[in-house]
Parts: sequence; C-alpha cells; structure tokens
Amino acid sequence: MEGESYVTDRSIATAVFLASTLGKPLLVEGHPGVGKTDIAKVLARVQDTDLIRLQCYEGLDATTALYEWNYPRQLLHIKLHEAHGDDPNATEASLFSDRFLLKRPLLAAIAHKGKAPVLLIDEVDRSDEEFEAFLLEILSDFQVTIPELGTIRAEVKPLVVLTSNRSRELSEALRRRCLYLWIEYPSLEKELRIVRTKVPEANEQLAREISAFMQTLRRISLVKSPGLSETLDWAMALVALHADHLDQELVRETLGCVLKDEADLRRVAEQLDQGKLSDMIGLVA
Amino acid sequence: MSSSFVRSVVAFCRALRARGVPVTAAESLDAVRALVAVDVSDREDVRTALRTVLAASRHDLTIFDELFEAFWHARSGIESVPSRSHVRSTRPPNADSQASRISLENWMRKGSSSDDVVQVRQASTLEASAQRDLVNLAAGDQQDIERLARRIARRMALKPSRRWRVRPRGRRIDLRRTMRSLLRTGGDAAILARRDRIIRRTRLVVLCDVSGSMELYARLLLRFIHALQNAFARVETFVFSTRLTRVTPLFRRASYAQALTAMGDRVRDFSGGTKIGEALAAFLEGWPELLDSRTVVLLLSDGWDTGDPRMVDEALQRIARRAGRIVWLNPLMGSPDFSPETRAMRAALPHVDVLASAHNVESLQALARHLVL
Repeated sequence: MEGESYVTDRSIATAVFLASTLGKPLLVEGHPGVGKTDIAKVLARVQDTDLIRLQCYEGLDATTALYEWNYPRQLLHIKLHEAHGDDPNATEASLFSDRFLLKRPLLAAIAHKGKAPVLLIDEVDRSDEEFEAFLLEILSDFQVTIPELGTIRAEVKPLVVLTSNRSRELSEALRRRCLYLWIEYPSLEKELRIVRTKVPEANEQLAREISAFMQTLRRISLVKSPGLSETLDWAMALVALHADHLDQELVRETLGCVLKDEADLRRVAEQLDQGKLSDMIGLVA
Repeated sequence: MSSSFVRSVVAFCRALRARGVPVTAAESLDAVRALVAVDVSDREDVRTALRTVLAASRHDLTIFDELFEAFWHARSGIESVPSRSHVRSTRPPNADSQASRISLENWMRKGSSSDDVVQVRQASTLEASAQRDLVNLAAGDQQDIERLARRIARRMALKPSRRWRVRPRGRRIDLRRTMRSLLRTGGDAAILARRDRIIRRTRLVVLCDVSGSMELYARLLLRFIHALQNAFARVETFVFSTRLTRVTPLFRRASYAQALTAMGDRVRDFSGGTKIGEALAAFLEGWPELLDSRTVVLLLSDGWDTGDPRMVDEALQRIARRAGRIVWLNPLMGSPDFSPETRAMRAALPHVDVLASAHNVESLQALARHLVL
C-alpha cells in the first residue's frame, strides 16, 4: 500500500490483509478525515481492480442501490417495434434483458466479471436501518433475484469496505458480520510521513511545523477537530503561497483550511495573538 | 495449528463474551482462520489479527486489549500453551487484569457451561453496602413507576412525524409519484404509489450520577429507567461518578434487583465523588453514534461536581449540537429554596433545554412530555 502513497501502519495493513484473505467485509471507523475512504481507493489500485462506490444517504433505498429498469428506453423500444409491426411476443421477450437494466452499485459489484472488484459502501451510518438490514442480506449471499431475469450470483466475491462516522448506531448483526478497524488520528511521525509523501513540495521544516501544529490542535478540545485531509489541504495551500516555515501572520490567514467552525477559529486565533505559535509547533523543536 | 492453540482461541472468545462482547461462533472460526494467515510467533501480529476479527466497535477494542494481556498471561500460568514464547506478558498484572484473571479461572473451572456470565466480585465493603441498600429499596412506588414507564415507552415508540415517506402499503396514495410512474409507462398499467407518515422513534440516553450525594435519587430514577427499557423503548443507560460506565446490557435482565446486583459488581465507583464534565466527555468520545436529532439526553445529577466546570460547559455544548433535547433532572429542585448555584449547574444551564426535578413519582409523571420529541 505504501507504494500507492498511502502511509499505513500495522493495524491497517493487518485488517486489509485479513479482509482479503478471509473474504469478509471490513468496517472502518474513525474520526472524520483520517483516511477511511482512501483505504478502499488504494486497495483497488493495489489490486489493480475496479472500485465500485455506493455513497449512503438518508432515504437511500434498495432500488437506488441495486438496480432499476430503464423505463424510457423500454418505451422507446416498444414504440419502435410497433412502428415496424413486429411480433408483440418477441418484443416483450426482449424487453426485460440486460440492455434495459440499469445496474446500481450493488448489482454492479455482484455482476462484475473478471477480477474481484472493491465495493466501497461509504458512510453507511447515514443510511436508514431498513437499508442496513437489506445490506446485511446482500453481504451474506452476494446474490440478487430480479423477478424478470432470475437470480444473479456473484462469480467472484467483491472485497467490501464499509465506512462509518458513527453518527448513528449500526446494528450489532452488521458489525459482527464484518472485520473491524478503528483508525486513530495519526501520531506525529505518521502524520509527518504522510505530509512528506503527499505534499513532497513542502520543505522539511514546513512539513514538521505543520504536523506539530495539527497535533497540538487535536489536543485542544475543539468543536471540529481537524483530520488528515485538513492537514494536506493546508500543506498544499501553504506550498502554493511559497511558504517555507510557519509564522503568525501566515497561520492566521490560512487557518480556514484547517478549522471549519467559527468558535474554533476564534479560539485558536486568540492563542496565536498571545504569541503561542512557537509553543504550538514546539513538538518538533 | 495445534489443537491446544485452537482451544486457547475458543476460550478467549468465551472470555470476551463473559465481558459483554457478543462474539459469534462464526467470528471464533474466523479468528482461527486469521491466525493461520498471520505469523503466530509474533505476539503483536496475533494481537492485531484477533483484534480485527473479534472486535466490532471501539468499545470492544478497549475490552479486548485489557483481556488479551490478562488472558495470555493467565493461560500460560494454568496450562502450558505450546507456543509459549509469544505468550509472554510485557506487563505485570495490575488490579484490572488480576480481576479478569479471576473471572477466567472461574470460567475454566466451570468447564463447558458455555455462555453464562461470570460475575467478579471486587467491590470493597463500602461499595457492597451501598449496593445492598439499593436492592432493599422499599417497593411502595414500584407499580406506579412501572405503569408510568410503559405509558411513556409507548409514546416514545409511536410518535408519528409530520414527514411522509414512500411505503408500498401506506395509508395514503402518493399522487405525485403515481403520476410520475404513469409518465414512464405512457398512461398504462397504473401502479398506485402509496405513502405513510414516518414513525419517529425517540431514543433516550440516560446519564445518571451515582455519586454519594445522589444515592437516594439515583435509585428511584434507575428503577424508572429499568422499567422503561424493558417496555421496549430505545434506552441507553450510563452511570457515572468519577467515571462513566454503560449499564444498558445489565438492565436487560429480568428484574431490577438482578440488574442492580450486576451493576454493583460492574460499577466500581458507586457512591464516590463526581466528575460530571469528564463523564460527559467520556460519553462523547465513546458513544457519539447515540446522539442524533431524535435523541433525548437525560442527565440526572445534583450538580455537586468536583471536576472542572469548563469541561461541563464544553461537553454539554457539543452534546446540545447533536442531540434533540437535553433534560437535566436535579432532585434538589424539590426543595423550595433551590437555585442552580453550583458551578457545574451554572456552566450547564445555557445548554440545557429542560431543567426539572425528580424526587418522587409525581415529578417523573410531569417529566413524561419532555421525553418524547
């Protein structure tokens, strides 16, 4: 995975390894912005296979996630056949075939041919409980029955990664069906390695100062603690501004990259005004 | 893989179950399969692999880590495990692992009596006496409380929302969607789309202060909560004094007395001091998924806090952002000359939606309407 510039650690590597060895779905939890979704993306790249993504949201139901018939196209098809005066029976037979089937992510993953794809079910905690139950069924059998076509069974079991931000409690049944990975905020060393890997343009001092600053921020109790994605956004912003180290003015101007809550911004800005920047990046000194 | 190693894994799964992690048989099997796939001579590899397979939430991880240390330590003392080299413990047994070990030994002596939970008695004499008090509560109000709880539970479970959703067998016809589906088929074969009101189920999260000053009132409220939870309402219960413990699973027992006994065994700091802010922060860190707009957070405390009031302010502010409502029950409000003067109360007030008393059954009755969102 490191080859795909995803800085990993032992628990992540083990979890991914076991998920593919045991053929079980992997449930990934952690604070926002620690790279949960990226696991699936990198996994697909490493395995050189397709990534199929299902983004969950409130109200997501089985049809949107599984399949739909392409009604307008079917209608058009009927009209065309009528115009040619074709046999109605033949028309009907051709109506429910693969070409009118709109494959939504879950069916796409099951019907996938060739190498096993990676199926990412993102933010599963945002979907409703009914959908979760439906998901559980799909994940245990990897088969779907479409009344008009029959049962479609997965030739190769997709590698499933689920992510959750813990905004809702997931059912115990789903949890126990999956392998579990909790991603903690990165340590200073790991964060530094990530900045170096992802934003190589940042010089060593800048990278160190950024990482240390972020580590300090996470220790203050904020409304929204910044994740890794904020670190990287900020690093890129600073590079774009041709910064080679942090100073008070610069941090103040770019703090919006890191903190997304007004109260947090005010709080950190106050600390900066008291000249605490050197303390905040003191971890590396 | 040697059979005694497999046995160890199976025993470990049982030990996890005894600590409340509901490991399934399929998971024990996966655990063994996982160990075949990794390097079992590396203790850290074994730990990470088992963690991934056997834990299913962040709380499980904490229990897992604690037990893993204690377990392999205890195992190596009781029966010789062949791959002993990687079973060495790096940590001397502290009070916690000592306790887990006792529970494990108990379990092993019991042989194959499968899933029953082994109770570890580790309460000091003082804590034990507090617990006896709790069990022996005079049960005059008991029926009243239970009837009230059932009524509230029903309302919490069946409150219709004002919003509609698609329901194949809903009570009303959804005209808009019916028309849309007619468009698709060009007016033929009308399928009536139906809709119905969403049933909003309120969830109740109870954070109950069981420190010394609250002892009497905590009994009353916990009895109410116990009845509520057993009347099919969605209730999550936590108790705290200096630290927070989730007692929901313990409350699933048949009787209140049993639940209390179990709680007395599990909760170590019954009737100690109070750190409200820290308890709230621990709740936010550990169980954020319990908070959404349909959650009522019920906090029972007299506000006598030995912790930092700023922590109370911060934690409650964060809870208020996510929860539907915060209700603070302060039993001291029952006295006529009450005013919320303690530092913790003052820090909390801006974030609290309802401040009410809870010193008797009548006040619980008055509380009912605040518990349904």
